Amino acid sequence: MQGKPWRIGAVLASATLLAVAACGGAGNDQQSGGGQAGAPPSTAGFDGRTIKLGVLSPLSGPVAVIGQPLTEGNKVWFDYVNSRGGIAGKYKVELVQEDNQYAADVTVQQYNKIKNDVVAFTQVLGTAPTLAVLPLLRTDKVIAAPASLDAFWVREDNLLPVGAPYQIQAINTMDYYLTEGGGTADSRICTMVQDDVYGEAGQQGIDFAAEEYGFTVANTQKFKVGTENYAGQIGALASAGCEMVFLTATPADAGKIWGTAAQAKFAPKWFAQSPSYANALAQSAVAPYLRQYLTIAAEGTEWGDSSVKGMRDMVSRAQQYAPQQQPDYYFGFGYNQGRAMTALLEKAVADGDLSRDGLLKASSELGKVSFDGLSGDYDYGPAATRNPPRTTTLFSVDPAKPFGLATLKYNFSSEAAAKFEFQKATP
Amino acid sequence: MTAFLQNCFAGLSLGSTYALVALGFVVIFKSSGVINFAQGGLLALGAYLGYTFANDLALAFVVAVVLACLSTAIVGATFERIVLRRMVGQPPFAVIMITIGLLFILSPLVTAIWGFDQKQLDNPWNIRTVELGGVVFGVRDLWTIGITAAVVVGFFVFFRRTSLGLAMRVTAFDQEAALAQGISARRVYATSWAISAALGALAGVLMATGPGGLNPSIGNIALAAFPAMILGGMDSPSGAVLGGLIIGLAEALTRGYQDQLFSWAGSNVSVIVPYVLMILILLIRPYGLLGTKEVRRV
Amino acid sequence: MGAHRNATLGYADDLRLFPTPLKRTGLLAMLVVFLVLPTIVRDDFWLSVLVYVGITAIGAIGLNLLTGYCGQISLGHAFFIGAGAYAAARFGGAMGLPLPVWLLGAALVGAILGGLVGPFALRLRGHYLAIVTLGLVFIGDHLWRNLTGITGGNSGTSVAASASLGPLHLDGLSVLGQFYSRNQGWFWLVWGIVAIVALLAKNLARTRPGRALQAIRDRDQAAEIIGVRAGRYKIGAFMVSSAIASMAGALFGAYQQFVSPDEWDLLLSIQYIAIVIVGGLGTIFGSILGAIFVGALPALIDRYSDVIPGVRTSVGGEGFISVFALNQAIFGVLIVLFLVFEPRGLAGIWLRIRTYFAHWPFSY
Repeated sequence: MQGKPWRIGAVLASATLLAVAACGGAGNDQQSGGGQAGAPPSTAGFDGRTIKLGVLSPLSGPVAVIGQPLTEGNKVWFDYVNSRGGIAGKYKVELVQEDNQYAADVTVQQYNKIKNDVVAFTQVLGTAPTLAVLPLLRTDKVIAAPASLDAFWVREDNLLPVGAPYQIQAINTMDYYLTEGGGTADSRICTMVQDDVYGEAGQQGIDFAAEEYGFTVANTQKFKVGTENYAGQIGALASAGCEMVFLTATPADAGKIWGTAAQAKFAPKWFAQSPSYANALAQSAVAPYLRQYLTIAAEGTEWGDSSVKGMRDMVSRAQQYAPQQQPDYYFGFGYNQGRAMTALLEKAVADGDLSRDGLLKASSELGKVSFDGLSGDYDYGPAATRNPPRTTTLFSVDPAKPFGLATLKYNFSSEAAAKFEFQKATP
Repeated sequence: MTAFLQNCFAGLSLGSTYALVALGFVVIFKSSGVINFAQGGLLALGAYLGYTFANDLALAFVVAVVLACLSTAIVGATFERIVLRRMVGQPPFAVIMITIGLLFILSPLVTAIWGFDQKQLDNPWNIRTVELGGVVFGVRDLWTIGITAAVVVGFFVFFRRTSLGLAMRVTAFDQEAALAQGISARRVYATSWAISAALGALAGVLMATGPGGLNPSIGNIALAAFPAMILGGMDSPSGAVLGGLIIGLAEALTRGYQDQLFSWAGSNVSVIVPYVLMILILLIRPYGLLGTKEVRRV
Repeated sequence: MGAHRNATLGYADDLRLFPTPLKRTGLLAMLVVFLVLPTIVRDDFWLSVLVYVGITAIGAIGLNLLTGYCGQISLGHAFFIGAGAYAAARFGGAMGLPLPVWLLGAALVGAILGGLVGPFALRLRGHYLAIVTLGLVFIGDHLWRNLTGITGGNSGTSVAASASLGPLHLDGLSVLGQFYSRNQGWFWLVWGIVAIVALLAKNLARTRPGRALQAIRDRDQAAEIIGVRAGRYKIGAFMVSSAIASMAGALFGAYQQFVSPDEWDLLLSIQYIAIVIVGGLGTIFGSILGAIFVGALPALIDRYSDVIPGVRTSVGGEGFISVFALNQAIFGVLIVLFLVFEPRGLAGIWLRIRTYFAHWPFSY
């Protein structure tokens, strides 16, 4: 055996290092401010004057078409708030934007990057990214506003959702179709949904309505995002004799689907979940077909409708702070997120505590927040008893309108939608 | 029966697009032994250039298509000239990785110039249709099939009848023998990249005329065309066309009969059918349907 | 009298993992960095980047054994990573098994899957094999979305696997009164495993199986003639490689606590191929360097993007290119430049530097 002095050296060195390392723990240096009313003390993301809010959104990549207008909506709202002095008239808001690329692992990294610089997150876009940061939100006691209408956000204490979830829109759509839309429980009712969480949410709503109203879904076609040719699915729906098809898609796929349907002379009544539609469709070759057969289920009112206060304000603020902004569904969504977050922050400021615990407490005590008709009022409070809006507005396609949509039936709800119960995410 | 024919037609149209993309792969592979992962990026670039020519510059559609193909061909040939020429003699791994690098450069370039929104390429076909015996034929699909057929014929004429085509075949067959005959391998490589890029651009523009329009993920079709290329045999142009059509038909028919025949295998079976088919055929014929068996020396 | 410290006196010297004093010093330095780094870099962003980089390095070592040493190109690595993550969700989360068990369980699952895929390599060669393994990613995606019982389907599944080694709870380490954050604990866990896997892989590569793999890579028929059973080794390489990939996937899932089918796409496979090629084929150290390069460079650009002119860091902000797009483009350009100037990758550059100093002052 030869001596191996370097090994002994290594052992010694590592022992010393362990000792050094032992002094470098991250510690538990989070302090929460006191709960007394008065000016809230400085805390993570709040230096006594400015409140910083995080945005985790795909600012590039295929989903940037959603992330950019959403973030623009956040910005316009807070620009407006700042022009009035800020939250509670004194604290200006600053957005810290990070590109999450719509990927769960990137979202986790970006969350870690800015979590100690922000009071809360006013936007996290994407169902999977939100589910990925949810465990971290719980451990860190941070609040985030998810930018998707999934039903399982409602019951999470660390989330601040807005709007009526997809399921509600699907149920109300069925209510309309069966009462005024010319359908009966014996009609051939079909669905076409994209094969992901968003598609499943729509399908869940239709299945719930099927039980409530006693109809059966005659045929369901699932499709993968980015499919090149939809002749097969359209053919299957046509041979199933569908009189009504409920579609859950995004514009690129929806355009192909309706184009294929128009070519195949397949003309059921199409009802589609709001994200399926984009203004470009109203200007495309498929527009005449869409005018005739398509109804879009969304919330609020048509873009530029001056009879609704929320819309009137939003359009004028958009013109002031983001003049290049085109009419966009997601812009409105981001704007509403800003409203909800502002309500929460004002409550927290009133309680004199902008810390993470303070925000969670404010969130559980937050009552009803009104969106001035842009979306239904949201009953916040403890997650277990929250009640999201259950209203839907139906639109028909009208290329003459700014966003290509004209109101068909404004702000209605149904008994079935009122019965729908929200659950936590299963995973 | 009508439904069956309708699905077959959809399959032929889809298969033609695959065939164009797969041909692009084969041209480069045959001459230089490289799988070009950037084909999807070139396809997207070509489609967007077509959009600029047709919509922004309001040129006639035919002119726009030709210009898009030409300019993309120049991009392809330039890349070959500047980068790939330095890689002659390097391991094929490194060269493949370089084409992946090109893909990473092209996609952000395309989105930086044209943005992410959905675009509608002005075209003479739109959603017009012709009906024959109960089967509806989309005019755009008919043109896609027709143009692909014409390109394939032109392709074979080029390779059989022109001296450049002959030079390319010789180089593919035996590079050293070709050099000994005074054939410029450089010219052959540059030409094959130009042809391949032009084929990609053509496929891209044709896809962009569809009802879904144009968005940055249009290049993903190249992934779906991999099985087509492999199925036919990587060095066989006729194999690429055959593979494209087989994959297109198989995909469309699976989609059409998902409910009746494939519901046991989960939803959207048609998405994996190209890959399953590819694996099955390769197990029987490891070099594809029409590919050349590699001679292995000890 | 002893020979010069760098002299090779016999076969035993040839086989030593760290033969020269220089290498031993290097090893010691790495140990120092491993132990001290998380206590200096306490920022959660950098720690989480480094944890992801470490996980990627583990997966890349696995791929390098297969591609770099055995010459089998695989674009299906993402499939095995995904399988490992779901295995961790099952074994560690649902069944609540301890860390060593769920980690090895995931490796076992990976090995079995690799053993099923391996035989394809006997029939197919080169590019054909690459594209068939690419098919694996898509078939895997179909499985993950449809096997809802195991994977949670489209909505994904939470991975509640515990990260405790005996009395050490790495999710919130408390040693001698000092509290360490989850990211610090995970840094030590992941990079500790990187070290173990790297040592095992290096050991494998220098001994009989490693030499057999390299013989198969260089000339498989010649290898068979001299008595190497190529078929068995090819399948074996697939199994080991996928087992390591699954371990990486298990760690990925357990660290992120949630996984969905969107993550195991072709881009992930391509990223791994990029890592082993950029790092250098057939070098274990290169895989780690490659993972650091590919994983940390985007984070670096991201962090300092606001000082780079022309970059748009916010919606409506100045600049013509977004951070991510810039990242992608820089990544692409770097890959191209790298391989044009140093086709052997980062490990090749490292080798050059080392040779330069080893021969100093007679280097040129």
